[in-house]
Amino acid sequence: MGAPSWEELADLALTRVRRAGAEYGDIRLQRRVIEHMRGEDRRIASVDNDEDSGFGVRVLYRGAWGFAASSVLSLEDVPRVADLAVELAKQAASVATEKVRLAEEPVHRDRVATSFQIDPQVVPLERKASLLQETMEVVHQRANIVRSTAELWWCRDRKRFQSTEGTVLDFDLLAVNGSISATAVFEGRCATRSFHLPYLRQGYELIEETCWPEEAARVAREAVEKARAPAVEDGIYDLVLDPEHLSLTIHESCGHSTELDRALGYEANYAGTTFLTPDKLGTFQFGSPHVTLVADNTEPGTLAATGYDDDGVQCQRWDIVREGIFVGYSTSREVAPKIGDSRSRGSNRADGWGSIPIVRIANIGLVPGTASLDQLIADVKRGIYIEGQGSYSIDQYRYNFQFGGDAFWLIENGRRSHMVRDVIYHGITPEFWGKCDGVADWSHRHRYGFITCGKGQPVQSGWMTHAASPALFRRVHVIRGGKGL
Amino acid sequence: MSQPFAKPWFKMTSREEFRFLVDVILARSTGDHTVVTLQDEQSGTTRFANNQVIHHVDRRCSRLTVTVSFGYRHGTASTTDFSAGAVQNMVARAERIARVAPEDLEHLPPPTPCQFPLRETARAETIAAGPTRRLEYANEAIGLCRMENLMGAGIVSSSVASIGIAADNGLFGYETRTEAEFSITVHAGDVTTITGADSIRTGSMGTGWSAASHRSIDHLRIQERTLVAIDKAKRSRDARELPPGEYPVILEPAAVAGLWCWLIQALDAKSYEKGTSPVAGQVGKPLMDKRLTLSNDPGHPDLLGVGFTQEGLPSGPSTWIDAGCLQHLAYDRFTAQAWGIKEMPTLEAPILSVQGSLCGTIGDLVKQIDRAILVTNFWYIRSVNHRDLTLTGMTRDGTFLVENGHIVCPVKNFRFHDSPLRVFRNIDAATVPLEAVSPETRKMLAPAMALPRFHFSSVTRW
Repeated sequence: MGAPSWEELADLALTRVRRAGAEYGDIRLQRRVIEHMRGEDRRIASVDNDEDSGFGVRVLYRGAWGFAASSVLSLEDVPRVADLAVELAKQAASVATEKVRLAEEPVHRDRVATSFQIDPQVVPLERKASLLQETMEVVHQRANIVRSTAELWWCRDRKRFQSTEGTVLDFDLLAVNGSISATAVFEGRCATRSFHLPYLRQGYELIEETCWPEEAARVAREAVEKARAPAVEDGIYDLVLDPEHLSLTIHESCGHSTELDRALGYEANYAGTTFLTPDKLGTFQFGSPHVTLVADNTEPGTLAATGYDDDGVQCQRWDIVREGIFVGYSTSREVAPKIGDSRSRGSNRADGWGSIPIVRIANIGLVPGTASLDQLIADVKRGIYIEGQGSYSIDQYRYNFQFGGDAFWLIENGRRSHMVRDVIYHGITPEFWGKCDGVADWSHRHRYGFITCGKGQPVQSGWMTHAASPALFRRVHVIRGGKGL
Repeated sequence: MSQPFAKPWFKMTSREEFRFLVDVILARSTGDHTVVTLQDEQSGTTRFANNQVIHHVDRRCSRLTVTVSFGYRHGTASTTDFSAGAVQNMVARAERIARVAPEDLEHLPPPTPCQFPLRETARAETIAAGPTRRLEYANEAIGLCRMENLMGAGIVSSSVASIGIAADNGLFGYETRTEAEFSITVHAGDVTTITGADSIRTGSMGTGWSAASHRSIDHLRIQERTLVAIDKAKRSRDARELPPGEYPVILEPAAVAGLWCWLIQALDAKSYEKGTSPVAGQVGKPLMDKRLTLSNDPGHPDLLGVGFTQEGLPSGPSTWIDAGCLQHLAYDRFTAQAWGIKEMPTLEAPILSVQGSLCGTIGDLVKQIDRAILVTNFWYIRSVNHRDLTLTGMTRDGTFLVENGHIVCPVKNFRFHDSPLRVFRNIDAATVPLEAVSPETRKMLAPAMALPRFHFSSVTRW
């Protein structure tokens, strides 16, 4: 007799959940394969191939959740785990004073698969290793370079979601990424410059379409330039932020602040709450009229565009901030009714079979404007152009933040001049977005994905993509990060 | 309260079962060397917020990993499926990688087998505890918050894990490790009810936090920790805004640990060798206040010491910073061999201590201080400048102004901008080492410290 199918295991679990009298139950069965090749200082330091499979059963019993999971996909363990999830829900229900009520969602039966041209699994390892070694060789050709890294990563998820409501969803999802870094030392001062692919739901074509030698030469050259650059002077500057940099600013200050579970206090003990309490919905001036932030979990290729979330809710597109006004949250079936919404936005995700889903940031992007990048820069007398991601920190209310970057160029009288280093800017979220004075057009739009967004206890890693065109911010407080001991 | 579960824990992989799996893998592998590791963990968390249990979860995850090498070529594969076919497939995947991977001249054969020290890494009471015990603890904390008309959010978690490492050269280590954790954030503030929604805490809210972590679930001290968080939350209402700038501070142990974990990460030997470390050239030289010592004590009953490391090396006591001077770096095996380091020190059970006349409690330390900002904890600590280890982060869940030996008022949270390499050069006063647990670090023992200068770069108005 062969191994039981996922359909049989799902039916087995949900039958027991129904029989136990639960009002709702679901099961996620998942098999994840990750390959990660890491080069360091010309050598291939590690090649890991990880297979991770298991299942999680979530049960709502008298308004309380229970969740149990196991890596043992067997006819013996599935009923044990299903029964355990029921018992956990019953225990939680015995002390609950407020009941969970789920927003309605139509029953779905669907299959979602990532569209790709080249399966990374079939690309020979030798080819991947050669690519990384050649990339690092290019980095080390430049004088003053002391360290390099080059990485390739892909992840394939096969997943089934099945609920007691009748929803059955099958997923075959792929994501690919790669990166390069170069570290230079000049007169005892070190600096690192990086290149990151954007973590997209694509195949190995994302790697092949990238000109690795060109990017390697550029990051090496700019690492040396960065190490030699003068430190920035403290002061007030206009900032032009590139899409990769903005993706992190959007993530931390706009994404997390608009997660409804945080607004309701669910994350108070770890990731924190948010200054955007529900009473501000629809009226609060989050930013200038140039700022429209749209959550789009339907955009092909992006990390959160998985067709459906882990509540079995269909992915959607909605406004978070419309012409500066805060108008929307990321929600789940559990929290949506708490602000009077009849349907979840479909942003409830677990980081794997072993985790209970929680509200996650959607694919929130800054809607492009009409200017060109040159026009934005031409409009700046004294400013800084920032590329890439560096230091970042934000308070537990997503209100006071501080960001660095990967590379910085001074803007003088409308022209990008020379590189500076150690730029740090800080601000208060709505004040900062209120200073936005223009966003570049669609031709400059780029997307960047995140796979290590930490939230929840035990902590889970969320996946989402943020898109933006370069944007101009007026009169931002800049300080030099680190002034010696 | 419902009845305790009949079988709170599913059976874990035993030493004999691990040895059997190792034998199967070694028999299958054709590599010059083969290293096998096991992590089989059963864990559970009861999570609460707004005085309600929101998640009551349990998870079992078993993982085998194998690294196969042919000369200097190596490959690693892992699986969560322990069936014969899956284990065989894992070995085949690792071999496939190892056969085609470029030579890595830093790759070394497995460590020489040795007798790993026996440590008390598992506590029977934690193994026996399950969801019922966690729920009772969560209810205890919630009940205390309700009695004060405050809102609590937190977790109670416990886990048991079978950890193993073995290699073809006879290396073999296996131990069971348990861990239990409690943390709570208490909110005290005005309640605003909005249409169609729950009660939301807004306005001039005060928050307080406390946490504990231990091999034994009996040592979480739920009531004591919850009362600390409640006290801080009540004291934190209506915080006053002070301007940013240089202040003397009293850092509680969690705040001290939050800064030290970044310093410990900066001790990487390879970065030191390449000249990119913030402590480059500092081994053997004064790095800190000369009364400071950082040591590793894996046998300490209140720390999370282990018998062996992930690399298969024995853990042992060591002194990393002695009288303010840096003694050791964190070596990878290749760098250690290249530098002729025979015994690689480990730092999984850190104790930071200050020599001299010390206070027994944080309260006693506060009494000695004329004026300072008292910091309960830091949040979202990140590097700003790697060269001088300048860090940033926010104060969180209990920030107060101390004057004339008393807490006089709460203050709004500050963002800091400073380097542990600077701030720990001079210590005004300290306590004995106390439990330090924070989201930024694993557990360590660290004193609360009064420091003369600490740079707060901005203040939040929320």
